[in-house]
Amino acid sequence: MGAMIGEALKGHLDMLLLAVLEKGPAHGYAVICSLRERSGGTFDLPEGTIYPALHRLENQGLLASNWDEAGPRRRRMYELTARGVEALARSRGEWQRFARAIDSTVAR
Amino acid sequence: MKPAEDRIRNYLRSLEHALWLRGLEDADTLAEVENHLRESVEQELERGLGPEEAEREAIRRFGPARRIAADFEKERIAPMQKVLLILAVLSGLFLAYLDSRPGWDATGILAGGLLLSAGLLTLLGYRRPWLIALAVGVWIPLHDISLTHDFTMLFVLLFPFAGAYLGWAARLGARKMLHLT
Repeated sequence: MGAMIGEALKGHLDMLLLAVLEKGPAHGYAVICSLRERSGGTFDLPEGTIYPALHRLENQGLLASNWDEAGPRRRRMYELTARGVEALARSRGEWQRFARAIDSTVAR
Repeated sequence: MKPAEDRIRNYLRSLEHALWLRGLEDADTLAEVENHLRESVEQELERGLGPEEAEREAIRRFGPARRIAADFEKERIAPMQKVLLILAVLSGLFLAYLDSRPGWDATGILAGGLLLSAGLLTLLGYRRPWLIALAVGVWIPLHDISLTHDFTMLFVLLFPFAGAYLGWAARLGARKMLHLT
């Protein structure tokens, strides 16, 4: 992953994680796989870096987590809270305005 | 060559140690990381890697333990750390109050109090011994210097610094012993 993409990604990681979890509850490994797949492999972060971010989002009340004991492996599942849904909608709007502005500025 | 199982365990031990050094150890986080690594190993095996290579790749993809611990540190200041720092300030202020009372003349008790408070709070898990030492010990010299302008009172800081670093060393020693057993 290029340094520029890596730095840009850090600034938008919260929004990306919320967007991945918008589809439904998922555990950390599934979140990172989804992030990689949905970006066509562009967002290929060191996998461990998403956990501190997931925990922070949970502390902020944007995510909730619980341990799923049903499968062969005990997993911590994350899901969006109502506040998380609102935060994602807000971030998405801001991002779309920002992306349009960048696009119209750099387009030839 | 190390057995594959040891590689994940060693990584988890390194992460646990790196988190502990920052006062952030948390069994749930380690369980979560272990699940992630085991799932990642399974995926790598399905892609055709051998067991050892799969473990190595899972750990490489996860990132160096110290970096991950540093990321956790950036993201959350453990509430326990705040509580310990507040306790340090309160105990320092209490000792300074005792020292300021006109009839009080038990220097040995004050020195012991400074040493013990800083030592215990560091032993309990505060991750910056120098900050605990200052939080406990700065009040007595501050008070005395403001009255007498005698900066030699700063020597009082030796006691909390000694206590804090003794507590830190004891914690490291205990940690090593636990790992050896």
